[in-house]
Amino acid sequence: MAEDLSIYTVVHQPRRLKLPAQPIPQGAKVQDIERCLFDEELNKRYFHKVATYCYYPATEMFLELVQQGFKLAISFSESFLRQAQAWDKKLLTVFQELVKQSNVELVNAEPYHSFLPLLDLRLFQKRMVRARNNLEKVFTKRPLVTDTTEMIMSDSIYHALSGSGFSGAFFDGREWVLGWREPTHLYHQGKDLMLLARHYQLSDDVGYRFSNRGWWGYPLLADTYAHWLREARGDFVFLAWDYETFGEHHSKETGIFDFVRRLPEELAERNVTLHTPSEVIANYRQQSFELLLPAYPCTWAGEGGMEFFMGNAVQQALFQLMLSAYNKALLSKNRELIDLALWLAQSDNLHLIQWFGRSGSDAEVSAYFTPGEWWQLGTSGIAWEMQQVYKNFIRALDAYL
Amino acid sequence: MRQTSITSDNTVFVLLSFEGPDRYSLAGGLGVRVTNLSWTLAHMGFPIHLIFVGDPRQKGEAIRGEGRLTLHRWCQWISKYYPDGVYHGENEKLYDFNESAPWFVTEHIAKPAVKQDKLVVILGEEWHTAEAMCRISDLLHHNGLRDKVVMFWNANNTMSFHRINWGRLAYTTTITTVSRYMKHIMWGIGVNPLVIPNGIPKSFLSPVDANAAAKLKRSLDANLILAKVARWDPDKRWNTAVEAIARLKARGIKAVFLARGGIEPHGEEVMYNARSLGLTVKEVRTKGNTLEDYFQAIEDASRADVLNIRFPCPREFLRIIYHASDAVLANSGHEPFGLVGLETMAAEGIAFIGGTGEDYAIHLHNSIVLETSDPKEIEAYVMYLEEYPEEKKRIRKAARHTAKQFTWEEVIKNLIRKLEYQARIQGLLTTPPRIPAPDQKPSEYPEIVPSHEAMLIGST
Repeated sequence: MAEDLSIYTVVHQPRRLKLPAQPIPQGAKVQDIERCLFDEELNKRYFHKVATYCYYPATEMFLELVQQGFKLAISFSESFLRQAQAWDKKLLTVFQELVKQSNVELVNAEPYHSFLPLLDLRLFQKRMVRARNNLEKVFTKRPLVTDTTEMIMSDSIYHALSGSGFSGAFFDGREWVLGWREPTHLYHQGKDLMLLARHYQLSDDVGYRFSNRGWWGYPLLADTYAHWLREARGDFVFLAWDYETFGEHHSKETGIFDFVRRLPEELAERNVTLHTPSEVIANYRQQSFELLLPAYPCTWAGEGGMEFFMGNAVQQALFQLMLSAYNKALLSKNRELIDLALWLAQSDNLHLIQWFGRSGSDAEVSAYFTPGEWWQLGTSGIAWEMQQVYKNFIRALDAYL
Repeated sequence: MRQTSITSDNTVFVLLSFEGPDRYSLAGGLGVRVTNLSWTLAHMGFPIHLIFVGDPRQKGEAIRGEGRLTLHRWCQWISKYYPDGVYHGENEKLYDFNESAPWFVTEHIAKPAVKQDKLVVILGEEWHTAEAMCRISDLLHHNGLRDKVVMFWNANNTMSFHRINWGRLAYTTTITTVSRYMKHIMWGIGVNPLVIPNGIPKSFLSPVDANAAAKLKRSLDANLILAKVARWDPDKRWNTAVEAIARLKARGIKAVFLARGGIEPHGEEVMYNARSLGLTVKEVRTKGNTLEDYFQAIEDASRADVLNIRFPCPREFLRIIYHASDAVLANSGHEPFGLVGLETMAAEGIAFIGGTGEDYAIHLHNSIVLETSDPKEIEAYVMYLEEYPEEKKRIRKAARHTAKQFTWEEVIKNLIRKLEYQARIQGLLTTPPRIPAPDQKPSEYPEIVPSHEAMLIGST
């Protein structure tokens, strides 16, 4: 039974589009194009809301816990960092304080929270290296292990990351990827880059199901959960969640904070030891297993495949537009425009219309992430206006070609 | 204690319009209307904020009208990409206007004014402001202020009516228009607007320089002068006008037609038609900008039947034309109000009016109201007036008398009565103990119109 546990959380806020799409003046400067694309007022409002309900109380809690021996890995998207720098510098200081702790490992993240590895693998490598340097600058700690947007992983992404000097990365431990294997071992695909497989059932028990009153496991208590973790077969359990799980996806009233506060004690009682991902890699590198990753990327979202992001016609159309926007921006050779195209490639824009033409729990999750302000446009209106944002940008690039 | 009427002490006006007083913002009659309306209100003592698509090179905010008129130049960051005037980049501007103006009006004008116990009146002009007016209403409602604010939205014409959400607009604002003709059109789309006519500045009533008018006549060397000032638009019935000139010429009368159009392509068609009818056409251009320059340019071209004036005409010169002409053909087939007709009447001119939105026109009393698009009708009335010059004289006098009732001061009195009516419905004003008899005295407000907004427009 697994005696080791590693916990990882990712802090991210999307850079939401401005809907209805704002027409871009012909010949507009990059800054004016930018103001037409993104709804910074909306982003600011959501940022402050999440900061109040999640970032501040959750960070206070984790800081307290890691000072008592709890171990945590954490990553930050550039999307989050720029919002914090713009709208709440104090929050950034609070996070810096958390990351400073010796029991906290800083994990690298794809800066735009985009699907850049699907657009341009070389640029993806460069941006991952740049993100690592930037995170080191902000937190004075150098990330060794990396995450990717929505934990997407594939054969090609593995090799790109391996070539970028990281010692480890994550993927979602789905059956279709692992086959007969268990997610509780360390893996690699022939290179030095080690792979931790997220235990999706145990992760989702907290990430998705914790406040679901219809779930058979409700209410989930710390002792039960510690027991489940201890009972998992294998070397270690790797759990990964959105940081916003704590206070935002599950409000304080659900008992999520009490649950986490109680967890270390319950784990200790069952001789489960917490490790950072780098420690897991150090401990298990010699007994890691080879795994051939799929050519099709896997992800921690939905059912674990890219159909969560590209499964409906609207998502496919939007992804096409992302590609067009990026490639046309490349033609301009203008760095700022390429940067805007990468912001437009944010996975969130595909994530939040997963519900289009669908129903069920995944659609509910997706709809939850769609800004409430958009629903007055209607479902088709949201899809249309999102596409319009990309079309406006693509048109605005004409002035730079 | 609640007030009984709208006064300059208890009311703040907000006027929303795409067009405005900057030359960049003047495209037609709307810019003139908004300029005059706001200046007159300010001069009557009302604090007023005018939010319009202003010149990007000027200050975003400027104070005018003895400190009471605040110009808010909107969409400037977009306008700098669109140098060709207010409607260049229209959709881009519209989005920005709808996004930002409602919030600004609510936060920076309505809220502070209500705090000071003031009544807020918001006026929106034309389809461009319809959505913004609805959003302002929503925002005010959200802030618990909607019942403290009176909101009127005005249609000056039927342009882009299909882009207006009428149900929402009628629910959130009181809809107004400029004539009974427009009211009837709008009944057809399920709304019943109040009618508040358009106005003219009082300065338009000042006597036209008789010497200048005589000089113009001399320089043309014609028996009859007919004039028309309008956009090149089929609705304006330009072809009817040139056909009437051709008919007069066929009678052996030496008639000259002064035509001042806009930049629209229909102008070419009209000139082609004139030539086909055997009329000689000359374009009149001038590099100078004095009356002498204009007269000289006209004299130089005066051997033609049709003089196509291709320079911007200041109001002063237009008034001379209106006065000197034997007929000013304001003969549109569809005219929401018809400012040219009224301006002609103010200049003691003989206006031939199309008979749609020109509520001020009474046939053979103060003007000639045409019932058809038949050029023979114009020809017949021109000949009639030639035969009875005393009729001409009488009509000119009656025309000026009528125009006096449509100065902005008079129109604003009408507007205020209607605003008060709405404010009483909303419980913002109490009914006065007795209704005073209408004040017949001439207005005490001297006229002020900004000199830089000299309205160098060629058409309405």
